[in-house]
Amino acid sequence: MLRERVAALVAQASDGELTTAEVLAADCSLTALGLTSLGYIRLIDTIEEEFGFDIELDGSLDTLDGLVDHLSRLAGRPS
Amino acid sequence: MTGPVTVEFAGARSGQGPLTWGQRAIWRLTEWLPPGDPYFNMPWALPVHGKPDLPTVLAALARLLGRHESLRTNWIAGSDVIGHQGAEQCGMVQRVAGHGWLTVGLVDAAGARPRALAGEIAAELAGKGFDYADELPVRCAVVMDGGRPRAVAFAFTHMAVDGRALDVIAGEWPRLLSGEPLPPAVPQPLDLAAEEGSPEGAARGERALRYWRAALDRMPRPLFAAPQGAPEESRFVKLGMESAALGAAVTRLAAGWGVSTGSVLLGAYAVLLSRLTGRGTVAMQLVVGNRHDPRLAPMVAALVQDGIFVLDVARGSSLAEVVRAAHQGVLASYRHARYDPAAQRALIEETGPPPTAYFNDVRVAGGWPNLPSQPPASLGRIFPVGAWPEVDADVFLSVGPATHTCRLDLLADTALLPREAIEAMLREVETLLVNEENT
Repeated sequence: MLRERVAALVAQASDGELTTAEVLAADCSLTALGLTSLGYIRLIDTIEEEFGFDIELDGSLDTLDGLVDHLSRLAGRPS
Repeated sequence: MTGPVTVEFAGARSGQGPLTWGQRAIWRLTEWLPPGDPYFNMPWALPVHGKPDLPTVLAALARLLGRHESLRTNWIAGSDVIGHQGAEQCGMVQRVAGHGWLTVGLVDAAGARPRALAGEIAAELAGKGFDYADELPVRCAVVMDGGRPRAVAFAFTHMAVDGRALDVIAGEWPRLLSGEPLPPAVPQPLDLAAEEGSPEGAARGERALRYWRAALDRMPRPLFAAPQGAPEESRFVKLGMESAALGAAVTRLAAGWGVSTGSVLLGAYAVLLSRLTGRGTVAMQLVVGNRHDPRLAPMVAALVQDGIFVLDVARGSSLAEVVRAAHQGVLASYRHARYDPAAQRALIEETGPPPTAYFNDVRVAGGWPNLPSQPPASLGRIFPVGAWPEVDADVFLSVGPATHTCRLDLLADTALLPREAIEAMLREVETLLVNEENT
């Protein structure tokens, strides 16, 4: 599942501060959850690498669901 | 001084190649200065704990230079290099020595506090420009007390390190002293330069500059109206402020708005810049550490480059809205700050100059972990920090590394902002955020 995979990447980018389960359970922004700006930038780099998309941070992508929606839209876009 | 002694160091390899983007960015800054000007030298001191003897400390220094190629690098004009190998892009090469000798001064503390004395010696060591082509990029001296080393004073050229690189050295220092193993230091600057020159690296740099182009096209010009007043003799004045009350307010606002403390300060700065310029869009350059990539985080090298940040501050929008927009926008700026400075310069020739307002948050961890539990209700203290005849910025706000109080430094061109206005703007950052927190 995309949502679980992205949550795992968030946990990985947090340097052990967050677990995948915590990320999945949260209903706040990733920053509010404790992901630092550095961690967030690291996360977007990793997502780009893993999914092969360029992500521009122009919208509100600071939540797990926001990121997952964005990735789903990118994946559904004809290349 | 009762020394000096000479320490032999040896690394895994020697080599030569093009400069990294980060080195080129610093080189470009040094080109502003007269030859031999020490402005970009970095004085620094480290304590020596655990009462090791002098040979142990000297061995740790040798290990430090052996481990980090940046600390045994020279930068040489391409025309002086036989065959010009690797010099095609900016007329310079970096040359890493495989081995060499570091001269280490020995100073007896003679009753002075060793750490404080090391700070003074570091400032002395940094007081003279480096000979980039012929001198090691680090100078050092050991402060002795009662026959034992107690502190080490360093001066580095900014070509070799940035502020985060010093944090890396501080982190490694106890293990360098104890002789415990450290993970191999990869990549080194020569590797990074090769990556940056590869098709993937070049594409990455081009993407960053596409972001820059969009921002340069969108930013208001001119950013500031023509200066009105007569400047002070040393035209660029920097004032500092230390305010625990501000730190406490920013901490609570950041938690409430779900953003970082840096973004709260950045948003307040944007609001004040918007008032100052009378414009609904503000633009600034950011000093970006470029260490979010975990491969680059442990590098001893100068990776810092400028990012660009443009933000709409719509009339009537709440501070919370501005801060949230700043938070999203600034992360994009931080992601687009690794590029070839020569290509950036070409872009600027085409689009017009970049913003002359700057923001730099030097804190590593974010937040102020050592704020007093009951922060004072009183306002912070404002004091002069320095004045310079020439600075390549109109307004420059930095958030300092203090952990017990929010330290801000605001430098401005006094033709644009007289000293009283600099003080007023610092105070406004504080009152804006403290009042917001109380609403």
